[in-house]
Amino acid sequence: MSRMLAVGAIAVLVTVLGVVPDAPAQTKDDTVVYAIQSDMQNWDPPNSVLRESIIMGYNVFDHLAARDLKTGKVGPSLATSWRNLDDTTWEVKLRPNVKFHDGTKFTARDVKATFDRVLNPENKITARGNHAKIKSVEVVDEGTVRFKTDGPYPLFVERMTALVMQSEKVIKEKGHEWMQENPVGTGPYKLVKWTRKQEHLLVRNDDYWGPKPAFKYVRVRIIPEQATQIAELMAGGVDIIKAVPPDQMDVINKSGAARTSTSPILRTAFLQLDQAGRAGKNPFQHKRVRQAANLAVDIDGIIKHVLNGLGDRTATTVNPMAFGFDANLKPYKQDAAAAKKLLADAGYPNGFEVGFLTTAPTVEPALPQTSEAISADLAKVGIRTKQRYVGEVGPFTNLVRDNKADPIFTWSWGYYSIFDADAILYDVMKCGEPYSYYCNPALDDLIAQGRSTLDQKKRLEIYAKAQKLIHDDAAYLFKWGLRGVWGISNRVEYEAPRDEVDRMFVVTPRKK
Amino acid sequence: MLGDPVLLLLPQNAGKEEFARYHRLLGLDQPLYVQYWKFASAAVRGDFGKSWYADTPAFRLVLERMPATLYLTLAGLVVALVLALPLGILAALRRHSWVDSLCTALAVAGQATPLFWLGIMLIIVFAVRLKALPASGYGTWQHFLLPSFCLGAALAPITMRLVRSGVIEVMNMEFIKTARAKGVSEPMVVIKHAFRNACIPVITVLGLQFGQLLGGAIITETVFAWPGVATLTVESIRNQDFPVVQCAVILLALVIVTVNLIVDLLVGVIDPRIRTG
Repeated sequence: MSRMLAVGAIAVLVTVLGVVPDAPAQTKDDTVVYAIQSDMQNWDPPNSVLRESIIMGYNVFDHLAARDLKTGKVGPSLATSWRNLDDTTWEVKLRPNVKFHDGTKFTARDVKATFDRVLNPENKITARGNHAKIKSVEVVDEGTVRFKTDGPYPLFVERMTALVMQSEKVIKEKGHEWMQENPVGTGPYKLVKWTRKQEHLLVRNDDYWGPKPAFKYVRVRIIPEQATQIAELMAGGVDIIKAVPPDQMDVINKSGAARTSTSPILRTAFLQLDQAGRAGKNPFQHKRVRQAANLAVDIDGIIKHVLNGLGDRTATTVNPMAFGFDANLKPYKQDAAAAKKLLADAGYPNGFEVGFLTTAPTVEPALPQTSEAISADLAKVGIRTKQRYVGEVGPFTNLVRDNKADPIFTWSWGYYSIFDADAILYDVMKCGEPYSYYCNPALDDLIAQGRSTLDQKKRLEIYAKAQKLIHDDAAYLFKWGLRGVWGISNRVEYEAPRDEVDRMFVVTPRKK
Repeated sequence: MLGDPVLLLLPQNAGKEEFARYHRLLGLDQPLYVQYWKFASAAVRGDFGKSWYADTPAFRLVLERMPATLYLTLAGLVVALVLALPLGILAALRRHSWVDSLCTALAVAGQATPLFWLGIMLIIVFAVRLKALPASGYGTWQHFLLPSFCLGAALAPITMRLVRSGVIEVMNMEFIKTARAKGVSEPMVVIKHAFRNACIPVITVLGLQFGQLLGGAIITETVFAWPGVATLTVESIRNQDFPVVQCAVILLALVIVTVNLIVDLLVGVIDPRIRTG
């Protein structure tokens, strides 16, 4: 029997060792290792809604325009310049002498093929909705494209940073199915191997038109468990991790092997108050009650003590990094006496009890703790909340869509990486939108005006008016803009990116 | 599994028509019995449908990841046996001595340790502090050490205690006395006569424990970023990717049934009485 066991054990070990794949021909010095929590669905960025796809897309593909991480402004990439011919026509000049990874030249025909593929409803590409304002794409010559839009489209330039350019040859000859696993871009890195749910190996594109990346290889490892990611960072197995929980920052910074870097990110957190009465009649339909709620809570204190400073106070839902943000508008300041008076004036001298729907801290760190702190402050002025917790994001979102949320519920919005006030006002504050529990025709009017002119100065004025209205009407209970925390190994130079897109081609070895 | 998979496939700001279109696309607008019939009739032919999330056949996704999980569980099993057999026999032979107490204490501690915690501790000690082994991943023999130890350590205590009580029971039997009387050396008595008989309950229980082992693999795989079918299942549940979940559950059930069949046959090999009976 023991002989049998020994033979069995050896057999297992042999099988186990036999499956070990070849080590890639790379050394630690020329490789940067990046960890993500879950793998992406496919290598076809327009056909996915995941942030991982956006990130990987940036490393292997190029966009027509790209954001400058220092200034936050959108600048040239595959497009070198753009201008309006009239209110509904944009002309874009393309960079010459750019090649796809398969050697074919990048031209206006590729731009047209990319947009045509995404815009055709038959193709069922997920990103279609983001670009549906574009009616047609016309090739003027090899280096010039014209876009016709459905009405004025002020977000055109922003949206150019959100669609990767794919090759006409690949789209026509290889087809959709093939493109799901085989990216052919013009970007700084090329895909060598994708081992699903395990690892992506990228190699530098030596024919890249832009600055050459410092590291020859990028390994993207999928590590689901956050504690393991942090251990790997400290053990030297990984160089860059994102979404570090605030309470782990100290562990990393004291390890001597790595450090943290934080950046404001384009996501605003707030509590929706059911002003529209979508889930039934409730006290928040009174403006004074909503104002009282905003005055009751010490948001600054919560940012400082609960979030360890990882939040930027906002006066409304508009994020400080979004176009149209009005820095002159001051947030509510805690004033319990004024809050109580407003409640009494609204007919609630003894306060009231109300439901408060919350969810898991998937996108918003420390959500349970901050919600508790807010509840406590609200109770002090007489707004007694009864928390209802729905841990799964899917069912939580369903409740909100189906008018089944509570009069107060937690919400945050990531703008789909469009740095423009319109990206939150339209989706989360306009009457009748699936996730908006606020309805004010005066605001709807301003939102419509903001998206119907290309004059950016005029748009700034419109959004300033909109924010004043939202603030004075206390549309929601305003909280903060989020900050992201990255963990970075001490062997590389890198900084937290403000658009949450990790670009491995800007990582450099740290000078010793 | 509650909820609507379409919510995860479309951006939050997608319109109602877009949602309806996806429902049609996935066949979610059809009555339940139609959906079930479609599923069942295709599943028996090995077609579990396409993953809604990754747009690839669910069967392929699960099959791709099955080996990693099987290797891990087998390696865990080997670790469990390597730990449990000598300790169990030793504890039985030195019954009521300090050796026995130590082994029992180890077993109790092992059974009380959460897998998750043990995994993280192993990583901190061997990867972060000593930098001797990789913290996570898959590919070389070094990658196997921590996860298989972690998984094996969870199974070892119960196995050890079974071996111990089995050997104690057998050592008191008449045929052991006979063997000794014939002049068989003590090690041979233990290995050939006592252990062989004590094995039967151990193997039977190990077969039953295989399901538990796969359950433990879910935690171990998550902690060590092991690309196995267990993490795939958990992730698919989170993504509401029903085809993959269905396929994984059915295939894992198949594995457990097969293992138990092998165990039954093995018991027959060891004990001729069962075979002929």
